[in-house]
Amino acid sequence: MTTDLLNFVPLSAFGKSSPPLGEVDIDAELARFEADERKKLGLGGKEQYQEKLFHDPRTAKKAHTTILVSGLTMAQDLLVSGALAGIGYRVISLDAPDQQALRLGKEFGNRGQCNPTYFTVGNLVKHLQLLRESEGITTQQVVDNYVFLTAGSCGPCRFGMYVTEYRKALRDAGFEGFRVLLFQMAGGIKQASGDDKDGLVMGPAFFWPIVKALLIGDVLNGIAYRIRPFEVEPGATDKAMQESKEILHAAFVADGNLIVAMWKVRRIFGAVKVDRLRPKPKVGIIGEFWAMTTEGDGNYRIQKFLQEEGAEVDVQFVANWILFMVWEAERDTRHRMSLGKDDKGRKGLEGKDPRKKLIMTWLGDKAIRLLFQSFAQMLGLHGFTLPDMHEIASVAKDFYNHDVRGGEAHMEVAKNILNVIHSKVNMTLSVKPFGCMPSSGVSDGVQSAITELYPEAIFLPIETTGDGAVNVYSRVQMMLFKARKAARKELDDVLGAYDMSEDEARNLIARVPGLAHALIAAPHRHASTAANIAELAGSIRHPVKGFQRWWAHRNHKPEERLAKHLASRANLGVPTAARTPASVKAPAASVKSQPVKTA
Amino acid sequence: MNPDSTRTAPIMIGLDVGSTTVKATVVDPESRAILWRDYQRHHTRQPESVLDFLERIAAAFPGVPSETIRVFVTGSGAAPIAPNIGARFVQEVNAVTMAVEDLHPDVGSVIELGGQDAKIIMFRKNEETGEKQVMTSMNDKCASGTGATIDKCMIKVGMPEGDMAGLKFDRERLHHVAAKCGVFAETDIVNLVKSGIPASEIMNSLADAIVTQNLSVLTRGNTLKDRVLLLGGPNTFLPFLQECWRLRIPESWEQRGHTWDKSRPVEELIFVPEGSQYYAAYGAVLYGLHEPASVGKFTGIEGLRNFIVHGRKARLGEAAGPPLVRNKSDLEVFRENYRIPKFVSAELVPGQVVRGVIGLDGGSTSSKCVLVDESGTILLKEYTLSKGNPIQDMKDMLRSLNDRVEAQGATLDVIGFGATGYAADVLEESLRADVNIVETVAHMMSAVHFFGPDVDVICDIGGQDIKVLFMQNGDIKNFRLSNQCSAGNGMLLQAMADQFGIPVQEYAGAAFEAGMSPKFSYGCAVFLDADRVNFQKEGYTKEELLAGLAMVLPKNIWQYVVQIPRMASLGTKFVLQGGTQHNLAALKAQVDYIKERVPDAQVFVHPHTGEAGAIGAAMETLRVVKRRGSSTFVGLQAAIGIEYTSKNDEETRCHFCANECSRTFIDTRTHDGQTSRYISGFSCEKGTVESLDALKVLQKERNKIRKRYPNLVEYEAKLAFRQIRVPVPLPAAGTPTDARVVETNLVEARGILGRLLGKREQRVVRRGFERSSQDAAERRARARIGIPKALNIWSMAPFLRSYFETAGVDGKGVVFSEDTSEEMWLEGAKYGSVDPCYPAKVSQAHIHQLLFHEHDGDGGVGGKRLDYVFFPCITHLPSFLDGTMDSAACPIVAGTPEVMKAAFTKEVDFFATRGIEYLSPALTFNEPNLLKRQLFEVFGPRLGLTRDENDFAVDEAWKALAEFDREIQDKGRQVIEEVERDDQIAILMLGRPYHSDPGLNHTVMDEFQVLGYPILSMRSIPKDRGWLERFFRKDIADGRIRDSLGLEDVWPEAYSANSAQKVWAARFAARHPNIAVLDLSSFKCGHDAPTYGIIDNIISTAGTPYSALHDIDANKPTGSIRIRVKTYAHSLKLHKERLEDVASQKEALGYRVDEKRIELLRLKQAQVAARHGQLDPALEGQIQDALGRMRAYEAKREKKAETPAGIITLSSLSLTKKRMHAGATA
Repeated sequence: MTTDLLNFVPLSAFGKSSPPLGEVDIDAELARFEADERKKLGLGGKEQYQEKLFHDPRTAKKAHTTILVSGLTMAQDLLVSGALAGIGYRVISLDAPDQQALRLGKEFGNRGQCNPTYFTVGNLVKHLQLLRESEGITTQQVVDNYVFLTAGSCGPCRFGMYVTEYRKALRDAGFEGFRVLLFQMAGGIKQASGDDKDGLVMGPAFFWPIVKALLIGDVLNGIAYRIRPFEVEPGATDKAMQESKEILHAAFVADGNLIVAMWKVRRIFGAVKVDRLRPKPKVGIIGEFWAMTTEGDGNYRIQKFLQEEGAEVDVQFVANWILFMVWEAERDTRHRMSLGKDDKGRKGLEGKDPRKKLIMTWLGDKAIRLLFQSFAQMLGLHGFTLPDMHEIASVAKDFYNHDVRGGEAHMEVAKNILNVIHSKVNMTLSVKPFGCMPSSGVSDGVQSAITELYPEAIFLPIETTGDGAVNVYSRVQMMLFKARKAARKELDDVLGAYDMSEDEARNLIARVPGLAHALIAAPHRHASTAANIAELAGSIRHPVKGFQRWWAHRNHKPEERLAKHLASRANLGVPTAARTPASVKAPAASVKSQPVKTA
Repeated sequence: MNPDSTRTAPIMIGLDVGSTTVKATVVDPESRAILWRDYQRHHTRQPESVLDFLERIAAAFPGVPSETIRVFVTGSGAAPIAPNIGARFVQEVNAVTMAVEDLHPDVGSVIELGGQDAKIIMFRKNEETGEKQVMTSMNDKCASGTGATIDKCMIKVGMPEGDMAGLKFDRERLHHVAAKCGVFAETDIVNLVKSGIPASEIMNSLADAIVTQNLSVLTRGNTLKDRVLLLGGPNTFLPFLQECWRLRIPESWEQRGHTWDKSRPVEELIFVPEGSQYYAAYGAVLYGLHEPASVGKFTGIEGLRNFIVHGRKARLGEAAGPPLVRNKSDLEVFRENYRIPKFVSAELVPGQVVRGVIGLDGGSTSSKCVLVDESGTILLKEYTLSKGNPIQDMKDMLRSLNDRVEAQGATLDVIGFGATGYAADVLEESLRADVNIVETVAHMMSAVHFFGPDVDVICDIGGQDIKVLFMQNGDIKNFRLSNQCSAGNGMLLQAMADQFGIPVQEYAGAAFEAGMSPKFSYGCAVFLDADRVNFQKEGYTKEELLAGLAMVLPKNIWQYVVQIPRMASLGTKFVLQGGTQHNLAALKAQVDYIKERVPDAQVFVHPHTGEAGAIGAAMETLRVVKRRGSSTFVGLQAAIGIEYTSKNDEETRCHFCANECSRTFIDTRTHDGQTSRYISGFSCEKGTVESLDALKVLQKERNKIRKRYPNLVEYEAKLAFRQIRVPVPLPAAGTPTDARVVETNLVEARGILGRLLGKREQRVVRRGFERSSQDAAERRARARIGIPKALNIWSMAPFLRSYFETAGVDGKGVVFSEDTSEEMWLEGAKYGSVDPCYPAKVSQAHIHQLLFHEHDGDGGVGGKRLDYVFFPCITHLPSFLDGTMDSAACPIVAGTPEVMKAAFTKEVDFFATRGIEYLSPALTFNEPNLLKRQLFEVFGPRLGLTRDENDFAVDEAWKALAEFDREIQDKGRQVIEEVERDDQIAILMLGRPYHSDPGLNHTVMDEFQVLGYPILSMRSIPKDRGWLERFFRKDIADGRIRDSLGLEDVWPEAYSANSAQKVWAARFAARHPNIAVLDLSSFKCGHDAPTYGIIDNIISTAGTPYSALHDIDANKPTGSIRIRVKTYAHSLKLHKERLEDVASQKEALGYRVDEKRIELLRLKQAQVAARHGQLDPALEGQIQDALGRMRAYEAKREKKAETPAGIITLSSLSLTKKRMHAGATA
């Protein structure tokens, strides 16, 4: 058989036995002869590829290893590096990925990857090249003394293959052997890892400071995005942010008192002068996690662009993402608990303790919320609650199967609906990498039905490729134009309802103590901040009117629409567009959003 | 316009700075009247052009005080200019919307096609508030290039701009053109041009493709309501495009039940207004009227002047890349080393008879031809730009060649003729050419001729294609060709030069002048063009843009097409050829790129860079003619005098299948009366014949080949949807059965209490089988369930059919849609709102087919009705692999059923209105117990099934799936063992399950089948560990993997079921010497992307023959498939020869080992005899065994010489039938 050639089993091995001493050893002789002959005839076996792996956390010795971190917002990357430094690791956070990172990612990555892969992989290669070229460190030293720490996942989209891609790119860029260490996104706080105290130990003591850093980073970003559009002195927020990051980073590094640091930060932000009556459209950024989170060229610096174009940006927090993963774990467990027999597989419950899993998820959810709220209160992010994942799931149920996963799964659809029915924002911008499988391949398709059901929604999905920013900006400006008008109208309506002019409202805000403070958050009733602060000012000036409006808002039930709404309207001969925008008929509000039951 | 030079009242200026032109309007703010307007091409000098406009406006309105002027700018290039003149920037769609609302309040929708983008605006009136709501949509990146695409295609078809205005739209003569992407469209257009289709028909086809694409994608599934306003350059200046809209839009109204005023002529309903190009500029002013008076106050032109002189460099300096030329001496050295020697035609003596061969390369945009004498010297060269017909091009070139020889008083004696390139087939047919070789092989031969057999890499860049050949021992070892996405790079350089008004010969001169360059990232020509617009907007000059574009070319070659980042591993001797190398800027960029990465590289440029293909054809002709001693060529004069007719009409259309291909017949006739007919433009082999009888003969021939060389991909595709297992009746009520129950307590309750206190106990209960009522059974027997034959249904169809049939649904009640076809796609592709991969997108056409062809609503006798359309979200698949991280489906594949639900219910609920229920539950096939419940939740209530019945049907369905796998693997085993025995090669198709669909794989496997290669599918590889052991023994022994069905040594992170299986199949192929690989991948496939590198490593380490067809989409790029098939066939032939060598050497080895063994055994026997005085019978037995083996070798060798190899006989489908019955009785 020809295939015997592949795996060199000497033909001479037939009937092998040891010869008595002194006699000719036929087998040995034949084996020698055959090997010689094979060589002469050029009949070697085929070589086979084997992927070399470099991911043992035990090899990352604290004493001489520097951990590189990157991938979230700049504030979070910095604070995480501080947090890890605080527990004895040497850490460097990389810069936000830029065009050069994209180019390197494309050069060394596979064709057809999504651009978060190109950006993040390229960013690491870029940093390593920089170490080698400008700091004069040899390649071997880079490989020996640095590791990259990142999140891993089990798919189902390309995200799960990042580590494969890192390996390929590093190998092709000449850094074979460079270690990329993974912690699993859905792996919980205790993960299989090194138990060697000198190495990288991914246990609770390792994750706890990271979680704190992530949540504090979220809150910091939240505050800055709230204040920046309304700052009176341009650049004041960025200056405050810079100072704050430094203070918190220092506190993390020293493993010192975070509470004191947070109070300092609160004072710094509190000192920024703001004018919240500027009617700025509030734009909610949703979409694919990385594309909406990064602050570099990966999304055309879309947050900055929006702010420059006069919008207030409502960003998604990393905490939401963590909560979503907790929800997934809980839902998958609960979904399978009632089976007569457990399945194998990644999500199957065979050999697992579902009750323990449920308790852990419950505790996880509560712990994140508690921690986040504590930080929010301490730092001054008032009037904000993390989203209810059950509400999100319930809102999306009829549009997006809960078992279809990948990316933000049903969350994008749900967030868009909630943004409309609760008047959370004036415009929803869904940012996703070009060809993102779950986001542009599935969510956007479903969103087209949502925009049909909620024609009043100003919704814009954009795909980011890293290049061709001009088209994207142009599209955003196109929608922002509408959002701007909507925000203006909201403010005018409120002012009209209280019979106030804008100047009167502004004077009132200046006079009432605390109302002009940077950290105050007027109760949410309208999408835009200006309308909310005007509502607050108006109700101070006309308390009775204010109460009436609050009462009406409180009793207003937001309308959730399904395809059948379309059908019933079609039967009645009413055009589908003939529905009142939620923003128009929502005259009053309560701070807390109402839980929604799906019809 | 005659401006009022005495005017002193304020004016408002609207400027629209687009990607190619600047438009300006001057408006009276009081009356809103346009006082002045003009437009001009800016030739990338946008700020200068704006400055010029402002100066002209100032001259036209000398009396208007500058401080009373307000300026509003719009367009893709406007943003950086605005602050320099105090203008306010207005986004162009908003500007257009303002203008339309003002000028045409009754318009329902607007379609604006620009140079780079397409925009759709839809107006809706809110019935309650009376407000007008505006919905706007712009194309995504891939669909861009509308105007630019038309421009480029105009160059390709060679139609003068002036003729466009007179062209009429003719719906009867349309050909397939992909419009989703400008590059895809160009590829199709090149093929049409080469097939001799008239330019008018090609342009009409392009128009139709653009219109259809916009109607299906840009509208995001919404209906364009009347009246429809057409704006933008192409819509304004191309009447045939307008006519196409007027045809297609009402069709969509009809289809979607939109009512419109039929009494009005369509020209009124869908119209182009006067002055449409000024709408954006005018709209910008209208926008300005809503802004406070302080906004947009003109600050004079000084700022802009300053910006032009100083601003640009300062802004760009940091972001810009290096120049193409660092210093003068660098350039001098380069020019010195890479100056392509000027070709001097041979000088002939009067009376001389020039004996030689002609090689002709009919390329995509130009044709080349060389005359080579018997010693291999190139005497003369000819070049012509394609004039749309390859025969005419050939005639012109040969005539010119002959004239040139005769002009010197010599005569030409052509002893042979060889052709290559797109036109080779037609020339072979009509001129009886001696040689017809594929371009790649021709290029290889030419390079080897000039640079010797130690060339490592040949890189050929033509107008359309990039071909990179990796060489070993003077022949092609492996190759990479540009695919649909990476095509058209050479053309892009030319088109860009054209756009900037620079003759292509001066490209390099201009690019070398640039002091810096914009950093393009690699990508398709459309993306590069979009980037170019962006850079232009940022202020780069044309010289810099040309330099940047030249510098991205090597990235496109090495990073995008070749994908081998470690270039040094390819070798050190590089040859660059192809027409694009004439452009020294492109050449320098490539040389620099290669030398930077392979410092010791020797980079040569072919001395006849444009004619390399023709020279290769000539050299091969010389060899063939010398060897054969004669030529088949009709002769020079006959060739020059050949008469031809090219016909493409209803008569030439192929009617042998539903595709109804529009074919072209080229009939030729030489002066001595020999005729031949060449047919092109067909998409399958049926198109190659003209009569039914001929078709029968052809099919008989094909069937014979098919039988000899089975195509298991095709076989699997058919078998998967048939009944595999005769349904086993449901057990009688009360039959003892084990039921599994779970007792839960509080776990369903939310909150901590439920979690803490909840108990859960799973038990087995023995009880009687529960049957549903007779009524329910009857209902089931009548049920009809439509299932789209799409995505992972291709994996799970045997399971689903068996599940329904066992549950009691009649076999005919399980209705799968048909295989994907172009016709189906064209008919049912108008619901989409997203643009993912084709396999996902095409699902809508399958659902459309079920709704409109498998359902006529009444359900009466003879009537067809569907109760359900079942398109499950398959989240996980069963997998034969062990130890992977998960077995998940691709998220697009899993989620598409939900996208389809949205698409078919958003405006009109197509299911509800037809009384059908759409079911898209999640199915998790890697968790069988969960799966039972998922199916029960859906079909328990709907089909009236009891849980026991459901579970029984699921169990049976698994058995059916296992039988299907067994059957297909049996076939696979037979094929593999046959090819092993005969030292033949089988081709293994790597792909995802749906690539078995002939509409998705473009039946490319058939091309190899007829060449004599049996085709294996991944599913047909036996997964039996015992059988696989011999391939993986060493890996397991080395501890690389735990068992033969693991992947941990190559891809530890594998979690995607189909990707992992693909990688495993590649791994298997790498271990089997008789298997070659053809890798299929769809355009935009996200799950394939990460496997490219892995598969490449596996395949190239083992040296397995490999070819890929990536980026497959709706269109069939026949030209590119042809080159691939032919080149791959060449490689396979070489591989087969090597295999035969190895086999004979291996036999020789066995023979010699046994010879040696006997020698040793005899020696030992002698030793034994000496010691014990007698012979050892065991040793004697061994000697006889070895002698027997040697005799067997000899006998086999003789037998092999007698019987021809390569006939593979498989048992037919009867095997399946036997199984089915066995299943039924089991």
